[in-house]
Amino acid sequence: MTGFIHSFGSEWLKKKRTAASLLTVIGSILIPVIIIIARIDDPSALAVANGQPRIWESLYNRNWQLMGTLFLPMGVVLATSLITQLEFRNNTWKQLCTTPQSLTTIFLAKLAVIGVMLLEFFLLFTVGIWLTGAVPGLFFRNVAYPAEAFPWKAVLDGSARFFLDILPVVALQYLLGLRFKNFLIPLGVGLGLYVASMIAVHWRYGYWIPYTYSAYNFVGRAAEKFHTHYWAAGYALLFTGLAYILYITRKEKG
Amino acid sequence: MTTLSLETTGLSHRFSGDAPVLSGLDLRVPERSIYGFLGPNGAGKTTTLRLVLGLLKKQQGEIRVFGKPFAENRMAILPKLGSLIESPSVYSQLTAVENLRVLQKIYRCPPDRIGHVLRLTGLADTGKKKAGRFSLGMKQRLGIAIALLNDPALLILDEPTNGLDPEGIIEMRELFRELNRQGVTLLVSSHLLAEMEKLVTHLGIIHKGQLLFQGTLETLREGRNGDDLETIFIHLTKKRA
Repeated sequence: MTGFIHSFGSEWLKKKRTAASLLTVIGSILIPVIIIIARIDDPSALAVANGQPRIWESLYNRNWQLMGTLFLPMGVVLATSLITQLEFRNNTWKQLCTTPQSLTTIFLAKLAVIGVMLLEFFLLFTVGIWLTGAVPGLFFRNVAYPAEAFPWKAVLDGSARFFLDILPVVALQYLLGLRFKNFLIPLGVGLGLYVASMIAVHWRYGYWIPYTYSAYNFVGRAAEKFHTHYWAAGYALLFTGLAYILYITRKEKG
Repeated sequence: MTTLSLETTGLSHRFSGDAPVLSGLDLRVPERSIYGFLGPNGAGKTTTLRLVLGLLKKQQGEIRVFGKPFAENRMAILPKLGSLIESPSVYSQLTAVENLRVLQKIYRCPPDRIGHVLRLTGLADTGKKKAGRFSLGMKQRLGIAIALLNDPALLILDEPTNGLDPEGIIEMRELFRELNRQGVTLLVSSHLLAEMEKLVTHLGIIHKGQLLFQGTLETLREGRNGDDLETIFIHLTKKRA
């Protein structure tokens, strides 16, 4: 366990000043910032909206609709590929694989960094959702802070579902990113599958495509006869297992 | 009997569908030696070093490091081994200190080793400059600093003076000699024959995956009328061509 912690610390340090790290922060606050600006731009609607009993639910849906269907899957495709490409781009696999740590530790530490970055992203985005309700009122005297208390439990519950739904994308992109030296392959496959999932989201077998699940939260499929969250968890485990086997059985380590 | 830091027995390797790159290589690197590993391009030097470090899956033969089979003792051997294979492995967005910190966390060596190896390799004043903006020579120095970070007993260096200016080459030669005086065994692969002649105590000359010579520099020179290493090397490799 100590070895894993050190390995994680090392991997965490590597992401400093990377595009993936920047993407996590910018991607998480972009939509809330746009919504805050849009709300400030329409002060007459703002006072009424902030007095509504379900203002937070409305803001949550507004934020997550764009995030869940567009920014989250695309951001995950990009960020996961960027993290794994760090070793290829810098020609550092050979150095990493001659350090005294098992390949399993390397595999898990990298995956854990992506997981923690995703949590960081969700945390910032949740704060962003709260800011979309809290900030606009600060600009106008007649606009009060939302009457309804912020529903933390419901928001965390919803975020946890989105988190689970995006895990198969993380796992498959991780597999591709570890496997292919050419950055365009994981990126191309990821974006291709995302486009396919958007086309297939209303198809009855659309749930077979692991990139559809976060969008299903807005098209009502999650509540249908199949439970998409279970499919997401299953795909995530399958892809992670496959990625691990492919990684440790590589003939060339670096 | 000479203690060996590194030993390979019958090491053979071929990439799928190609002719063998290595055929029954028996490498003997004595402890506390500076072993020069020489050979023309494509002779199998880098493949040998990659196999020794476990970067390539071993197909045939035995690899023993510090007297122990490498594959079975990888985790015990790697903390005592430093390496620089081909081009230096550095994270371009990080500074020299940060690059070393990435590895210091894994090796769990004292943090003051970072400053020490930076001073040894002449990179102590690089400050906040990112490694991506380093010259090739500076990257090479950082690669050597990384290899030295864990205070290794065996240092495996593939073309360590690549990209260094003449002054840098002399500095590194002095550094390698000093490390050797302190007890470090060095296995150095290089094309710079004149430089190797000034540095090494032992030599292995490889050609088309087979060792043509292995032994001390003195043994190689015996009966060759004072020929320099370059002349002997060309004579040996042409004879087998």
